[in-house]
Amino acid sequence: MDWLSDTWAAYQSTLGFAAVNAVLALSTYAVLSAGVLSFASVSYAAFGGFLGAQVMLHAGIGPLLALPAAILAGGVLSFLVALIFLRLEGHWMALASLALVLITRVVVLNAPALTGGVNGLSIPVELPIGVLILLLLLLMLIFQRLAVSWYGIAARAVREDPAVAASLGMSPRRVQMIAFLISGAVGGAGGVLLAVMLQFLSPDTYFVNIAFTMIASVVLGGSYHWAGAVAGAAVFTALPVIAQAVVPAMQDVANGVALLLIMIFLPRGLIDPRAWRRRRAARRRNA
Amino acid sequence: MTMRTESRTLLELDAVRKSFGGVAAVASLSLGVPAGSVMGLMGPNGAGKTTVINLVTGMFPLDAGCIRLAGDDIQGLPAHRIAARGIVRTYQNVRLFSGMTALEQVLAGCFLRRGTSLFASFLGTPAARAAQARATEHARHLLARVGLAHRADVLAETLSYGEQRRIEIARALGAAPRLLLLDEPTAGMNAQESAAIGRLVHELRDAGLTVLMVEHNVRLVTEFCDHAAVMSFGRLLVAGTPAECIAHPDVQTAYFGHSADAERIRALR
Repeated sequence: MDWLSDTWAAYQSTLGFAAVNAVLALSTYAVLSAGVLSFASVSYAAFGGFLGAQVMLHAGIGPLLALPAAILAGGVLSFLVALIFLRLEGHWMALASLALVLITRVVVLNAPALTGGVNGLSIPVELPIGVLILLLLLLMLIFQRLAVSWYGIAARAVREDPAVAASLGMSPRRVQMIAFLISGAVGGAGGVLLAVMLQFLSPDTYFVNIAFTMIASVVLGGSYHWAGAVAGAAVFTALPVIAQAVVPAMQDVANGVALLLIMIFLPRGLIDPRAWRRRRAARRRNA
Repeated sequence: MTMRTESRTLLELDAVRKSFGGVAAVASLSLGVPAGSVMGLMGPNGAGKTTVINLVTGMFPLDAGCIRLAGDDIQGLPAHRIAARGIVRTYQNVRLFSGMTALEQVLAGCFLRRGTSLFASFLGTPAARAAQARATEHARHLLARVGLAHRADVLAETLSYGEQRRIEIARALGAAPRLLLLDEPTAGMNAQESAAIGRLVHELRDAGLTVLMVEHNVRLVTEFCDHAAVMSFGRLLVAGTPAECIAHPDVQTAYFGHSADAERIRALR
């Protein structure tokens, strides 16, 4: 049974990173599901991550107690971001959020008291993988509740057609503000969990690379169901590891090919509720 | 030319004006829709009929004038607040939500009548669950009302055009409006389907709803509307009973060119 425990140890960190990436992807999904493409989750994660790290280092408390502080930090930041962003049209909002990611890095570099500046922050804290998975499961439960609630119905309507949603009494601004707050809280949580997984934070931790991972996870995983963000994050985290093990010399090529295959054959992502419905309808017709 | 009737006026447009880049889509329009009646809004293409609906529902701001619902000024309110006041519409080219089943479309329409807060609904409190079950039941009832009970769980975008139009009407009814604005509800429908829409509109009126419908079908207007108004180039040509409107020489000209042509067209039928 030794090989089993070795394999487990090797893949445990992959599993952990997959879970953290899933949390970050859910933060992006939260706004996308209300029709907003925003990379600002990176900034919520940075704020929550550094603040959570400081709380753990100075107050000497564990990650689970630092989590509420990070959630609050992300939530407050997303509120301020939403106040400005919700005045912008869709594609301008995406660009502005990208600018925010760039600004975040500059701020991180220039606020050494909070972030350690160029030297980064070492965080000698551990979180058992089981707890991390439990947190993700809890978050998935929350997203499932959101999806079936009146908020979920309104968010889908606003995403598909804000003008029609408004003509049915839904306030697109209010729905998208709620989406931003959820995104901020989840992003803050994801930020501190990433800090705990890495045990080290540098100015480059929260930058365009995770912005890319988040968006790609949601889009390739499927942006019409929360499970798409989770599945996408799992694929995105595991793919490089698997590619390295199977075709060590060509892992980047293998990555690219896998992504292309998903884009060509599953343009709406791995998880696509509409395709399930069409298939179910077709089966019923044939029956 | 404000229309005067003995009954109470639910919707009142007073010298409403709206231009798009120098083109007056609606030029000083005054019109009243009596409560509990069906009014047909007619006019050639580009007359400004849809713009009237867009203005009443708050999609665009007015340039000038005033719009009142049961005496309350509603201009300047955001669209969702106007919907909450009881004005709900359908669209000339069907605008259903992609990826939703017929039932979900109508359920989305019931948003204003959900009877629970967003947060309680998220938590799934017993009261919220009961309210959601009632809303779903109501949405099923509305689908049945437009004759689509059997389509409840089908993706709306896979249905026929006429069915999609009926879903849109059911969705609008979900918001329990006082005033329903139908923008060409029978476009693309055959005679039987059109007549079914006309009968539905009558039933709704008899249940107390006021309806303003943009309609090209002259026969439908004469058969199912209590009042009619005809627009041309953003102005009101004439308002009155459908028969009066259609007989009006200006209307004949606007629709068929000169009355002599109209006579010829009628002779051909």
